[in-house]
Amino acid sequence: MSFKAAISRLDRVSKIQKQYNAFTYLNPNCKELLVKDGLCNTKKPLTNLLYGIKDNIATRNIPTSCGSKLLQSYKSPFDATVVKLLENAGAVSVGKTNLDEFGMGSGGLFSHFGPTKNPLFPSQDTVVGGSSSGSAAAVAADVLDFSIGTDTGGSVRLPAAYTSLIGFKPSYGRISRFGVIAYAQSMDTVGIFSKSMSVVKSVFGILDKYDKKDPTSLSEGLRGKLKQLSTPKSSYKIGIPQELLQDNIPSELQSGFLLALEKLEASGHEIYCVSIPQMINSLPIYYTLAPAEAASNLARYDGLRYGYRDDTADSKDDTLFAPTRSAFGNEVKSRIVLGNYNLCSESFDNHYIKAQRLRVDLINEFDNAFTHPNILTGSPGNQNGVDFLISLSTINLPPALSNYGPDCTSDPTNPYINDIFTTPMSLAGLPAINVPVVKSKPIGVQLVGQYGDDSRLLDLAAELL
Amino acid sequence: MLQLARSFGSRIAKKGFHFLPDFKLKCGLEIHTQLSTQNKLFSLSTNDPFASASLPNHHTSFFDVSLPGTQPTLNPEVVLLATKLAVALNSRINMNSRFDRKHYFYADQPMGYQITQHYSPFAKGGFLELSGSLDTIDEDFKRIELVQLQIEQDTGKSVYRGSEGRSLIDLNRSNVPLIEMVTQPNFTDLKQVRAFIKKYQNLVRHLGISTGDLETGAMRVDVNVSVNEHPRVELKNLPNTSSILSAVKYEYQRQVELIQSGETDRYSGFSETRGWTGSSTVKLRSKETTIDYRYMPDPELPSVKLSPSAVQSVAQSMPELPDAVLRGLMSEPYNLTLKDAKILAIKGNGHDQLYTQTDLLKFYLDTFNCYSELSGQRLNPKLPTNWIIHELLGNLNRLQLTLAKAAEAFPPQKFAELLMLIQDDKISKASGKLLLFHILDETNTSSLAQPVDLGALIESFDLNTIEKIDMNELKEICIGIIDEISDPKLIEGIVSGKKKNSLKFLVGQGMRMSQGRIKPYLFEQAFKDLLEVKW
Repeated sequence: MSFKAAISRLDRVSKIQKQYNAFTYLNPNCKELLVKDGLCNTKKPLTNLLYGIKDNIATRNIPTSCGSKLLQSYKSPFDATVVKLLENAGAVSVGKTNLDEFGMGSGGLFSHFGPTKNPLFPSQDTVVGGSSSGSAAAVAADVLDFSIGTDTGGSVRLPAAYTSLIGFKPSYGRISRFGVIAYAQSMDTVGIFSKSMSVVKSVFGILDKYDKKDPTSLSEGLRGKLKQLSTPKSSYKIGIPQELLQDNIPSELQSGFLLALEKLEASGHEIYCVSIPQMINSLPIYYTLAPAEAASNLARYDGLRYGYRDDTADSKDDTLFAPTRSAFGNEVKSRIVLGNYNLCSESFDNHYIKAQRLRVDLINEFDNAFTHPNILTGSPGNQNGVDFLISLSTINLPPALSNYGPDCTSDPTNPYINDIFTTPMSLAGLPAINVPVVKSKPIGVQLVGQYGDDSRLLDLAAELL
Repeated sequence: MLQLARSFGSRIAKKGFHFLPDFKLKCGLEIHTQLSTQNKLFSLSTNDPFASASLPNHHTSFFDVSLPGTQPTLNPEVVLLATKLAVALNSRINMNSRFDRKHYFYADQPMGYQITQHYSPFAKGGFLELSGSLDTIDEDFKRIELVQLQIEQDTGKSVYRGSEGRSLIDLNRSNVPLIEMVTQPNFTDLKQVRAFIKKYQNLVRHLGISTGDLETGAMRVDVNVSVNEHPRVELKNLPNTSSILSAVKYEYQRQVELIQSGETDRYSGFSETRGWTGSSTVKLRSKETTIDYRYMPDPELPSVKLSPSAVQSVAQSMPELPDAVLRGLMSEPYNLTLKDAKILAIKGNGHDQLYTQTDLLKFYLDTFNCYSELSGQRLNPKLPTNWIIHELLGNLNRLQLTLAKAAEAFPPQKFAELLMLIQDDKISKASGKLLLFHILDETNTSSLAQPVDLGALIESFDLNTIEKIDMNELKEICIGIIDEISDPKLIEGIVSGKKKNSLKFLVGQGMRMSQGRIKPYLFEQAFKDLLEVKW
């Protein structure tokens, strides 16, 4: 991107921020980091590309808050691996983007910094989707070339769909999580937002590296194996999981879905109907495992070593750290309670272990649906299977902000239904991408590949644009 | 008040203690052992939990203080040491063990959970065998079975400052690798408990996996005690062997009294955790208030995968185990006493030691071999034992000289030569002692690194036994000694044969004057001739 274009984007940041609340912290040195055209001898792959990074990813120069009062103005002494890689590639950070506290939420409303709003609807405050709400909003508002989010159960794909962006969640383990503040790390995945597929591809190219600091990073050996497996074809078999064909889907979304299918058929791909029965259990599995991991991961926020600490006391009614920890938002609190309930000794076998078992069943069913082998499970692939899966990314269009609130107070599980299309892939660690079907409309389809089939998935997604 | 409580308590614990035949003691141990690895369990910070108190929170990485966004990476050295221990304890090693999180809030627990192995521990089963001949127990053999071995993190340390009304947290110990070993409740008396602790302690030192010190907390022992199958009580905060034994005694008597008074019903069904004050056990918590640790498999740490061949090669690389070493030393050709064998094979606490047991044992065995070649049929196994265990070690301590340095100047071959000179009466024992001390002293002060030339030294100090004795000269010396005696009764006693032992005194004087270079029997004969002793 040219220096001039970058400057003119930066000039709009403060106005956009006022309108949509996309950022938690802005990078004060942003302009100085831009390289004047022609000055740079060795042009780096992402030189002068502007990006924002979700505020649950550690950065040394700007605070890292997770959208929480508990970490308000916390400054990490180290950079996340993704931050280092992007910096080395010449990309320029505009700031940290807003999010649902610790990544928990699908609306972008549960942040200590207030809700983020959807730039597709400048005249009416509309839900942008979460939890990577600010990452989506800032790209949609054209102040960034790309942004980094995290996707645990749909937190990149859902806001991407609501803001008409490409939102890519790669296979689990391809991008380092070192420095990514854990919500549920058996699913937490760094993802990429952009309007341009070529930008998504080059950013993924920069970030798709083994990192020895991340114990879940995909090993060099397996990466080599993946490269050998990835042979592009001109015609793919694409399956529609019947479990993801839901009733009561708005007609705009339905016709968007059909439009995508027609496009794919027109470019020579074949559409099939497939069944992955365990998908219907995805939400209960997800909402058993993710809160359990969250309850565990968030146990460290006691205020003693960093972050917010209650002024008056460290314990209340014999409960250590209760005064400090009561500063978590309500959504986080209820997930911690739920998670601890799932882990307590009376329910562990009934809930957590059962959910783990069903998760394995789900992965086996995915393996059975794909022709591509799964290098992690050792599944050789099913010759009668499909290459990719397709579904809608969301069950609805983004609601107005004013309609969102009552829903979640009357029935706390209601907003979780938004994750119905996205959680199965998170549980299986599969690469999945939201592709906008109609320009500037919140209508997106989700394409899904077998584990590790990321590059062919991106090529296929490009055909839909 | 405290003083009174103390003396009352210690009287109970010490005086008149005996096990009552109708009240059977049943004990199990839970031992936490800090591993002496270079780095911590899941981070690269230095494993030095006892860094001087002036450097609190010095050995802490971002992970150790639980900064957001950090992740654990398993230190492979921990797996190596755990494997050694499991092999030595005959445990079945789990080829695919996993880590779990144990949740509880505490100020020195920075993550809000401890990473441990709850569901799938590193090793299961195994045993440590105690024997009457080696371990001071009443039974000929007593096998203590093990439940499991698990790898886990140590916590930080809280330092309470009562006067300031606050506590300080030191995380140097946080994330230090521990192995928790749990035994079956196989102990039925205190000797077994003491012997097991000593034996286990020596084992971890012998394998080089821990300092095994109770005083520093590198090894921590919890004991569970039950009497006549009543619910067990777990005893914690036991800083050393004597408090472990005293606490068990105290707890045994307390439980017996409860049973005798019929009060156990009040407690039945509740297992209790009690601490040790130094004089009595006090309730810390009981079952009703037990924390639910909400164990969860760690969602990001990979399982510890081992192959049988890897375990095999670790087993082959291990030194001979202490019991085998002891038994070897106590049989042909060494024939050491248990006490001497333990000096060579049982590790001390390792603080400011001048040698390791491994080095000492090697020096002994090498010297023994050289000596046995030189002496052939005339081998006297006591000679190397006495000269190494008593003379050499005594001198090393006196000179604060390390065995390694001593061995450079005075290697086993030379030591064996010295033994031969003594055995063949080429030099007297006294001269031998002088010579050994001189060599070590020189080594210490002038860093003499060249192996010494014994012959030249003996020449230069004129230490050779005097082969040809001028009988007149001998007579002169003896007369001189007799003249010096101021007590005529002494001489009378010798002549009359009433105080035969006094002759030894005269011989001793002669030995001293000749620095041992004239054989004592020559003196004895000369004195007898002079005094015309008839007996």
